[in-house]
Amino acid sequence: MRVGIDVGGTHTDAVLLDGKEVLASVKHLTSANVRDGVFGALDAVLHQAQAPHSSIDAVMIGTTQFTNAVIERRELVPTAVIRAALPSGELIPPMIDWPEDIADALGRHAYMIDGGKTYDGFPIGEFDQRELDEVLDDIAAKGISLIAVSSVFSPSDPSQERLIAEQIRARMPDVKMTLSHAIGGMGLLERENAAILNTSLLPLADKVISAFASALDVRGIQCPFYISQNDGTLMSAEFAAEFPALTFASGPTNSLRGASLLTQLEDAVVVDIGGTTSDIGVLQGGFPRQSNVAISVGGVRTNFRMPDIQAIGLGGGSIVASDDLQIGPQSVGYRLVEEGLVFGGQTLTSTDIAVANGSAAIGDGTKVAELDPELVEQATQEMHHIVNTGIDQMRSSAEPVPVILVGGGAVLISRSLDTAADLLRPEHSGVANAIGAANAQIGRETELIANYRDKPRTQVLDELKDALSQELLAAGAAEETIRIADVEETAISYMANEASKLRVKLVGDLKFSANAPSAGADSQEGLP
Amino acid sequence: MSTRIGPDDIADLCRGSVFLATGGGGDPYISQVLVTEALKKYGPVDLFSLADLPEDALVVAVGEVGAPSISLEQLPGGDECLAVIDRFEEFTRKKITHLVSFEVGGANSVIPLIAAAARGLPLIDGDGMARALPEAQMMTFAIEGVKPSPAVAVDYSGGCVYFDVKDTRLYERQIRSFAMAMGGMVFTAEHPMNAAEARRAIVPNTISFALRLGTLLREKRGNALVLEAPLRKLFRDSDFGDFRHLYTGKVIDIQRKTVGGFDVGEAVLASTIDERPPMTLSIKNEFLLAKVGEQVLASVPDLITMVDHETSAPINAERVHYGQRVSVFGIGCPPHYRTKKALAVVEPRAFGFDLDYVPIEDLPQGA
Repeated sequence: MRVGIDVGGTHTDAVLLDGKEVLASVKHLTSANVRDGVFGALDAVLHQAQAPHSSIDAVMIGTTQFTNAVIERRELVPTAVIRAALPSGELIPPMIDWPEDIADALGRHAYMIDGGKTYDGFPIGEFDQRELDEVLDDIAAKGISLIAVSSVFSPSDPSQERLIAEQIRARMPDVKMTLSHAIGGMGLLERENAAILNTSLLPLADKVISAFASALDVRGIQCPFYISQNDGTLMSAEFAAEFPALTFASGPTNSLRGASLLTQLEDAVVVDIGGTTSDIGVLQGGFPRQSNVAISVGGVRTNFRMPDIQAIGLGGGSIVASDDLQIGPQSVGYRLVEEGLVFGGQTLTSTDIAVANGSAAIGDGTKVAELDPELVEQATQEMHHIVNTGIDQMRSSAEPVPVILVGGGAVLISRSLDTAADLLRPEHSGVANAIGAANAQIGRETELIANYRDKPRTQVLDELKDALSQELLAAGAAEETIRIADVEETAISYMANEASKLRVKLVGDLKFSANAPSAGADSQEGLP
Repeated sequence: MSTRIGPDDIADLCRGSVFLATGGGGDPYISQVLVTEALKKYGPVDLFSLADLPEDALVVAVGEVGAPSISLEQLPGGDECLAVIDRFEEFTRKKITHLVSFEVGGANSVIPLIAAAARGLPLIDGDGMARALPEAQMMTFAIEGVKPSPAVAVDYSGGCVYFDVKDTRLYERQIRSFAMAMGGMVFTAEHPMNAAEARRAIVPNTISFALRLGTLLREKRGNALVLEAPLRKLFRDSDFGDFRHLYTGKVIDIQRKTVGGFDVGEAVLASTIDERPPMTLSIKNEFLLAKVGEQVLASVPDLITMVDHETSAPINAERVHYGQRVSVFGIGCPPHYRTKKALAVVEPRAFGFDLDYVPIEDLPQGA
């Protein structure tokens, strides 16, 4: 049996799954001390199912702690960045277009040295030992213990980043670092940004991951545990401690994955109706359809891929203006339980309409008994129209699609929708994130510029597959289940040679056994 | 009245440029960052009207040549376009009086602003393409008989090459191989023009137009059907002329391969708003040909732009993927590309399509 835990800003949810069957689910408040919240949720879900701790094969945790830290600019520790690229990029230093507050939080310790490689492997600037020594002296003098390292075309040739890392480690053994090639693909600024954010989160990651480990340990749970990452697959806890930034998109991803697991649907539109907005996402083959645009996290541009989500201004707390029948985007939000009519308040909300039309039994129904039936009918139609339009904009074709309704506001939709072939309201949808986390696939991806003139395409692909497979095996995947999930190839236009951008993703199923390895990839630098 | 461009205008100008890039031109993000910094440091730039050009002017085209997607990884140093101007003046022993952009489509629309701001040189409101096209000989400068050289190119190391070549097609081969040898991107100062040549060869007012276009796309942000009317008005009041909504649909197939430096491919769209047969879009870096069945709806040199249907954000041809919901617009090219000598270089046959160019306004309406 597997336990899925979702550690959100407000709630810590837990589910107990046997295969695809949900045996128990609980919602628990997130405590200031992450460990206690995990304890509480874990104990409650096992108690509910009357299952012993020893019956658990694996624990999967999804968390928005790291995203929230970046967005709220807290727990970010001053971080230096060393970029080997000069003379290229001289007037485009690291963190150039970051929001002031987050650049200040990290301290703007940006260093540029000669180095980097061209797309075809020629040195851009000559690496200069003295230059690096001066930078390291300065970082040491400032007492900074976190360093991000980037260099040009490192996804294709990481040797320079590794060389710098070795020297840092030799001089400052306690420094923690992130090498950009380990966390992102092509696009120097975006990859460097991701590396800087990741580095500054390392102390928090240490704290959070050890809190998880200690919560399990105290309860005598010996099985491995995993953290869910951006694309919906898992990473080992040790790997997550090195790469907390890979969880940035895991919240919405887990919500969509959970909806898929609950309904057994691989292709559907998911509408998550919250208090103020509804998030609409699309499942393709059981995974979220991904956005194609550069994603910013807390105002910092990165090249992480996020689920393609459209937010529309309708939620359970949306204010209904009875004069012109406008519903939302204004909302009473979490104050619904004070301001909504059915809760004894004075504001007409979408939830009041749902109670009045008989589709929901929430609060005191007599408070809306006097509403004009025509107003209720028109408002009901308008809410369905808003959701219908949102689905229409997101679906991939004009064909009606299966629609999965989740979230506390799902009661707003009680009738059929033109765009929906089928409307599903899965049980346990309140804990969809925890269910989405509790999947059993582990994944790893990489991206580089391949030059097929130097090496044939099949050889390039085979080498990448071998390297990624080794990492997945080390992280606990069953060898026979490892497969390519995605190969994306983009020709480099305006270049008259055979250069291509190549992104490869492999996934494998976790093998559950008492002695399954819990360690992540364990290379010379503790990096993949 | 001339248009003044400050740091806060660059995002809009780039948005408009990507729309005019018809799927090519690359991501202007890095240039946007650089130019914004330069204008913050040196102050805004007033665009110079072509009509006011003095008789003793020496106009030089400045910009980058190479693979835009490479420069998102190997960043420019940032002051190459200053270096290239200095070296040009050293070699030719002449003073440049005015700068002009190669192409308004993509990063090159804004690159010369760095030099204009730093050196106080006026930048002409105009360019040599009024869109994006892949090769130097397709610029209106070359079509109108302006010689490419004396030309100077500077690479990332600060190295400099001087070109003396009479034919722009030969220059294109030379400069492209230099760019590929030097990290994929170089900066050039080329196609020097006197006042008479500049007035004949430059497509006027395109930079200020791109700014207005980008501003409209931001302010009216919405789906393509909502934006159609304001866009049509903007284009019809300009030298571009015709503006049409050609198709709205979902990408159901995309095939591409690299042939001699071109991203060559074909995208197929299935309509999501009516019963028409699928649209086929032929790609050679840019969108060059739009057909429904055998019926051509638009072809190069007229502009074909694909936008995300919901946000109207223009989509680069490299980023087209299965399942996207898109709208396609067709736009008439300015008169500079409608002449016989221009069409010899930019008509569909010049790109290997076996059909005659028919101006978009003479073709059947799309939707």
